[in-house]
Amino acid sequence: MLDVNNTTRVEMDWSGPERLQMNMGPQHPSAHGVFRAILGLQGETVVDVDAVIGYLHRCHEKLSETLTYAQYPSIASKTDYVAAMTSEFAYVLAAEEIGKFEVPKRAQYLRVIVAELQRIASHLLWLGTWCMDMGGALGGGATIFLYCIREREDILDLFESLVGARLLYGFFQVGGVRYDIPDGWAEQCRSTIDRINSRIDEYEQMLEDNAFFLARTKGVGVVSRELAQDVGISGPLLRGSGINWDLRRAVPYSSYQDFDFRVPVETDGDCYARYRVRMAEFRQAISITRQALDKLPEGPISSRPALKSVAQIRIPKGEAYARVEGPRGEVGTYMISDGSAKPYRMKWRGASFSNLAILPHIIPGHKVADVVAIMGSVDPVFGEVDR
Amino acid sequence: MAAIPAWLTLLIAPFIVLNVVIGLVTYVTLLERKFAARMQSRIGPYRVGPHGLLQPIADALKLMMKEDVVPTAADRRIYNLAPIVFLIPCMLIFATIPFAPGLGVADVNIGILFFLAVSAMEIVGLFMAGWGSNNKYALLSAMRAVNQIISYDLPFIFSALVPVLLAGSLKMSDIAAVQQGSLLKWFIFYPVIGQLAFIMFIVSTLAAENRVPFDILEAESELVAGFRVEYSGMKFALIQLGEYAHMIGSSFLGALLFLGAWSGPGPEYLGPIWFLLKAMFIFLVVTWIRWSFVRIRVDQILALSWKALLPATLGLLITTAVVVVWRTSGF
Amino acid sequence: MASDARPRTVAPPAHYEATEITTIVRAVLRAMGATLKNLFRKPVTVHYPDKERQYPSRYRGLLALTYDKETGEENCIGCRLCEYVCPPAVIKVEMLKSEKRNYAKTFTLELYACEFCELCVQVCPTDAIVMMKSFDMPTADRREMLLDKDRLHVIGLEYEQSWATGNRLRDMQTPPKAPAPAHAKPAAAPAATPEATGV
Repeated sequence: MLDVNNTTRVEMDWSGPERLQMNMGPQHPSAHGVFRAILGLQGETVVDVDAVIGYLHRCHEKLSETLTYAQYPSIASKTDYVAAMTSEFAYVLAAEEIGKFEVPKRAQYLRVIVAELQRIASHLLWLGTWCMDMGGALGGGATIFLYCIREREDILDLFESLVGARLLYGFFQVGGVRYDIPDGWAEQCRSTIDRINSRIDEYEQMLEDNAFFLARTKGVGVVSRELAQDVGISGPLLRGSGINWDLRRAVPYSSYQDFDFRVPVETDGDCYARYRVRMAEFRQAISITRQALDKLPEGPISSRPALKSVAQIRIPKGEAYARVEGPRGEVGTYMISDGSAKPYRMKWRGASFSNLAILPHIIPGHKVADVVAIMGSVDPVFGEVDR
Repeated sequence: MAAIPAWLTLLIAPFIVLNVVIGLVTYVTLLERKFAARMQSRIGPYRVGPHGLLQPIADALKLMMKEDVVPTAADRRIYNLAPIVFLIPCMLIFATIPFAPGLGVADVNIGILFFLAVSAMEIVGLFMAGWGSNNKYALLSAMRAVNQIISYDLPFIFSALVPVLLAGSLKMSDIAAVQQGSLLKWFIFYPVIGQLAFIMFIVSTLAAENRVPFDILEAESELVAGFRVEYSGMKFALIQLGEYAHMIGSSFLGALLFLGAWSGPGPEYLGPIWFLLKAMFIFLVVTWIRWSFVRIRVDQILALSWKALLPATLGLLITTAVVVVWRTSGF
Repeated sequence: MASDARPRTVAPPAHYEATEITTIVRAVLRAMGATLKNLFRKPVTVHYPDKERQYPSRYRGLLALTYDKETGEENCIGCRLCEYVCPPAVIKVEMLKSEKRNYAKTFTLELYACEFCELCVQVCPTDAIVMMKSFDMPTADRREMLLDKDRLHVIGLEYEQSWATGNRLRDMQTPPKAPAPAHAKPAAAPAATPEATGV
C-alpha cells in the first residue's frame, strides 16, 4: 500500500549531467558527531557517497604511548564516549593478557555488570537518536528520543553512585576494578533494569509494527551476508545480516561463560533487522546483569596492590590483542609492551570505524531520507571512528 | 451598529480577525509545546512568566530583534518576497470562516471553495523561499513541497467536499447551520461516511500542513530545516506565523465541517467559544499524531496519496453523492 | 568520485508493503496510546537551579585541598604524586621542605582541563586532595578555573566532601593479604609517604 512492489535489479547509469553534490555534514543534525558524507544526488536518489572522517582525531594511539598503564584506562573511555566502559575494558584486558595477571572473580563479575549496563545505555542512545533521525526533532522521533534519554539517565545514575561520574568512568584498572559496589547498589540496579525492561516494551509498542516505522526501515540498507563478511563489520550489524558471531559467546572473556544468554541473530540484513537485534540485546543485557548480580561472589576486587604511584604497574615484554564485544561491535586493542610502565605501541580497533566502511556499499540507490536511516542503524560514534 | 458605514466594517472586521489570529498563533505554539512536553515526560516552557505563559511573547521579541541575514548568493527579490507571499494565503483563509452566525469577514456563498483554493496558494511562497535561498537543502525541500502539496490537495478537497454534499451548500454558514441542534447532526456522526471522511480529512490536513509524519519538506534530520534553512529573524517569524495560521485555519475548517461549528450547550453567545474549543481539539489531535510517529519517505508519501488516499476519498465522495441523491429523491 | 561514473548494478530497496488496513490502524492507535500513557506520567524534569540536586556519596566533582581536622594544618605535603599521575597533567606542585614535615609551596590545578578521573585522589598519601559533591563553578573567564592553593582550600571548606579519599579508595582496592582487614590501612599509608614525618 505504501510503495511500489519493484524488487527487480536495474541497471543505473549514473554518469549523467543532472547530478547534485550535497554535503551532509560535518555540521548536520543527523551527522552523529562530525561525519561528512558527500552525496551525489540524482533528484532524490543518492547515486554516490563519499565518506570523509577524521574531524575528531585526538591521537589516541600516540597518547597511549605516553601514559602509563595506571593512567590510560581513565583516558581510554574517551575513544568511545557513548560506551566508555567498553573501551577501558579492552585496554585492561590486553595489559592483563601480556602480564598474565589474574583477575578476581568478583572483579570479573563487576566488569560484566558494568559492561552490560553500558550496552543498555548505549543502545538506548542509539534508539533515541536513530528515531530522531527518522522522525525529526519536531516529531515522534523526539518523543522516543526523550523516552530513551529518560531511561539512560537512570543507568547513568547507577554509574554515578558506583564511580561518581556519568560519562567517563575510569572504573577499570589493570588487575581488577577501581570501585566496589556501594551498599544498596545491587537493589537499585535491579529495580532500574526492571523498569527499563518494561519501558522497552513501550518502545516496541510504539515502533514494532508501526506502519510508518516499518516503511522506513524494512528493506532499507540491506547488508548481505557475504558483504558483511567482506567488509568486516561486527556487532549488531553483523548479527543483523545472519551471522552468529558474538565475542562473548565465541571467545568468552571475563567469565561470560558463566552466564546463560542468547545471541540474537536476524537474517534480513536491513535496518529493521538491526533494530530487532538491538532490541533483543536489550533484553539479553538485562538478563546477564541480573544473573551477574545474583551470582556476584565475595572477595577482592583487584589482584594487584592498590594504585599508589604512577608507574606502579609494569608489564613484561610481549604483545597481545584483546577484544571485547562492545555495543557497536568488536572493540580491540593490540598492545606491545617493552617491559616499562607504558606500552611501546598500541592500536585501537574501533568497531564504528570498521562498520562505517559499509556505507558506500549500501547507500547508493536509496533516497536522501534513507541515508540518515542507514547511518543511524550503523550507529557510529565518532570518538571511536577517529580516535 | 447602524452608525458604522459599510466600508468601515469592511476594514474593521479583517483587522480584528487578523489580530485575533496572530494572538491565537502565538499562544497555540505554547499550547503545542506544553502538550508535547507532557507527552515526552517534560514540562516544557516554564521560566518566562508563571508556567512559561509569557514564552510566546519572548519568542516573538527575540525573532523581531534578530539580525536580518540575507545570504550573498540568494536571489534577493524572491528571497525577500517569499515569506509575504507565503503568509498572505495563510491569513486569507480566515476570510470566509464564520466564527458565529453572522460573525465573520465575508460569508460568501462559495466559502469552502475559496478556502481550498487559497490554502493551495501557499505553495508559491514555499517554492519561492526554496528557490530564492540558493541552498541545496532548500531547493530539495521546495521540490518536495511542490510534489507533496499538489498530491495532497486533491484528497484534502475531496474529503472536505463530503460535508458539502451532505449539507448541500458551499456556503460555510449553511454547512454549520445544518449541523445545529443536536449532537447527532454533526457530520462526524453521520453513519460511516462521516467518520471515514473525518479520518481522511485529518490525514490530508497533516500532509497539507507539512506535519510529521508528512513533514518531508522540513525534515530537519536530512534537509536541516528545508525551505527556511536560510531564513532568520522576522522573515522566519513570518513563515512560522503562516504555518501555524494555516494549521489553525484547517482546524477551524475541520471543526466547522465535521464537529458542528458553534453548536453546543449554553446560550448563543458561547458559540464562538465552542467553535474555538473544537478547533483546538482538532489541533491537539494533529499535534498528538505529530509527536507519535516517525516521518515517511517522499516516495512513500506520494504513493500513499495517489494510490490510497486519492482513490479512497474519490470513492467516498461518489458514495456520498449517491447516498445524498438516494435520500433526497428516494429512488 | 570519478570512479563511480560507470553503470553499477544495484538492487533497489525492497519495499515494505503494509497490506492490511487494520494492522495499520491498530499500529497507529498503539503508538498514539503509548504517547497518551506518557501524557499522564509525572514529568521527569528537575528544576535544576531551584532544586538542589542530590549527589551520590561518591560524586566526582570539584577538586579541593583539605585541612587536618584536629590541628587545622594543611594536609598536603607537596609530594607531587598527584602531579605525576594526572593524565592530562593539570596539577603542578612545588614542595616546601620544612623541619617537621613538608608543605606544598605552590599547588595549581587547571580545572578547565581536568578529567575528573580521581587518580590524584587515589594516590594522595595524606588524603589532602579530595573531590567535592558539586560542580557549580560556572564562569565566563577561563582564568578563574586556574585554581591555586588558597582557592582549593576555600573550595574544600565551601562544599560537601565526597566519600572518596586516597586511603579509602586504596583500602577498597587492596586485596586482603591477611584475614584481618584492620591493618590494610596502616599498611597502605606509610608505604606511600616516603620520609614524610606526619603530624
